[in-house]
Amino acid sequence: MMEEKNRVCDIMVCAMARLIPDGSKVFHGVSSHMPMIALLLAKALHAPGAVHLNIPGGTDPDPVRLKKYTSAGPELLERATAYFPLMEVFDLAMRGELDLAFLSGIQFDFRGNVNASVIGDYKKPKVRMPGGAGSAVLIPTAKRAILWRTKHDKRTFVNQVDFVTTRGNVERIITPLCVFKMENGEMVLETIHPTSSLEEVQENTGFPIKYSHIAYTPLPTKEELSALKRIDPGDFRNIEF
Amino acid sequence: MSKIMTLQEAAARIHDGDILGLGGNVLHRAPMAMVRELVRQKKRDLKLVKTAGAMDVDMLCFGGCVSSVDAGFISYESEYSLAGHYRRAVESGTVKGNEHACYTVISALRAASYGVGFMPVKGLVISDLIDANDYFIRVEDPFTKEPVTVVKAIRPDVAVIHVQEADEEGNARITGPLFEDVLFSRAAKRVILTAENIVHGSAFTGSSKKADIPHFLVEAVVKMPKGAAPCSCPGSYDIDGKNLKGFKKLKDLDGLNAYLKAFEKSDYKG
Repeated sequence: MMEEKNRVCDIMVCAMARLIPDGSKVFHGVSSHMPMIALLLAKALHAPGAVHLNIPGGTDPDPVRLKKYTSAGPELLERATAYFPLMEVFDLAMRGELDLAFLSGIQFDFRGNVNASVIGDYKKPKVRMPGGAGSAVLIPTAKRAILWRTKHDKRTFVNQVDFVTTRGNVERIITPLCVFKMENGEMVLETIHPTSSLEEVQENTGFPIKYSHIAYTPLPTKEELSALKRIDPGDFRNIEF
Repeated sequence: MSKIMTLQEAAARIHDGDILGLGGNVLHRAPMAMVRELVRQKKRDLKLVKTAGAMDVDMLCFGGCVSSVDAGFISYESEYSLAGHYRRAVESGTVKGNEHACYTVISALRAASYGVGFMPVKGLVISDLIDANDYFIRVEDPFTKEPVTVVKAIRPDVAVIHVQEADEEGNARITGPLFEDVLFSRAAKRVILTAENIVHGSAFTGSSKKADIPHFLVEAVVKMPKGAAPCSCPGSYDIDGKNLKGFKKLKDLDGLNAYLKAFEKSDYKG
């Protein structure tokens, strides 16, 4: 019963949504269902004035129906208030006015380096990954970069990344087990999800866990859960698990 | 003057070794009918350019048509996930994966559209991508003397763009997101359009929404209903997920040829 009530995908999406202040200009890219839903959730609850920016260029979309397979489709432009395409979102970041970007990666280390490129040699890689999309320019230029990843294991959280696609203003990394926060150039444990434990986080992380005290990620509230059902009736926030 | 031609004729205008810009973004409005025809015509050594590609890049790599891919992201997004054929081609060394941030592709195309050789990119400051690639260089800003990364211009030989409406002279209107397609039309030496519908030129002159791409930039127009399928074409159709899954499972060139054969009737009826 507890498991059914406290799903990791809901905890993660609500944790992401709560990091979005009212009035802030926020971007998410492709393959980004969780931040897309988190942004719609934040706008529905505490941050109605947050500005939703995305790849298809629909500013503040009010999509009738989200799609399971994409976070870059035309439904984000229909019923939007303005057309502000991707290249202009980047321009906004370059001039220092993008408040928050949600990005991901495949490997992270304790210094906040992000790898979304390759495992092994760049020219002839052991594993060619999809690529960092906008992250190599957005993580250094957005005022805040929040990363998420639906896997938390020792191959993802490593002592040193194989390739530095980028680093910069990484503020937090949200995983299925916990929330990390960058402090003084190092990743420290901010909160552990109530569905996990310090032992589990440590066992699945390739570097020693630093923390000043143990805190738990707040569980989704009833209000958040009911808004999520309305925004994401297809439960697309759970597709990557 | 009419620029209408068949898909086969238009594909024949794309040559081995060309730098090829692909319109659309991930699974949306990709020029899939043209991609299929390029594989059928056994094009070789194409250098693909796109901010975020998916099935288009994956299929051309599978067909052995590609020598390099300049892109920020190649994947089918969350549900259909990784582009396996692209991935294997890069891992085996047959295709060079020139990784960009999406914005650096945009900047490289902007440089080409402005007629200059490179473009400063503010955000690209800390990244192994700068040293690993020869299309990014750190230089000194001549005015402030601060270091700045520049990206080399990319001027596609041809951009292939799938649109919802075009007239026979090549004026074209896109419904929904434009993605980087208008920029592609300005950056490329030549533009080939495939269009869901061929409309009369008066559709543009008489309407408040004019063409997004003007005729004088365009050299060929192909009437191609379902030209983006099995990817989506906003306002016309959504993806065909079953077909995508079937394609992703193909293991060898026999499988690919059979897959392409099944599309021939619809690809050639335009």
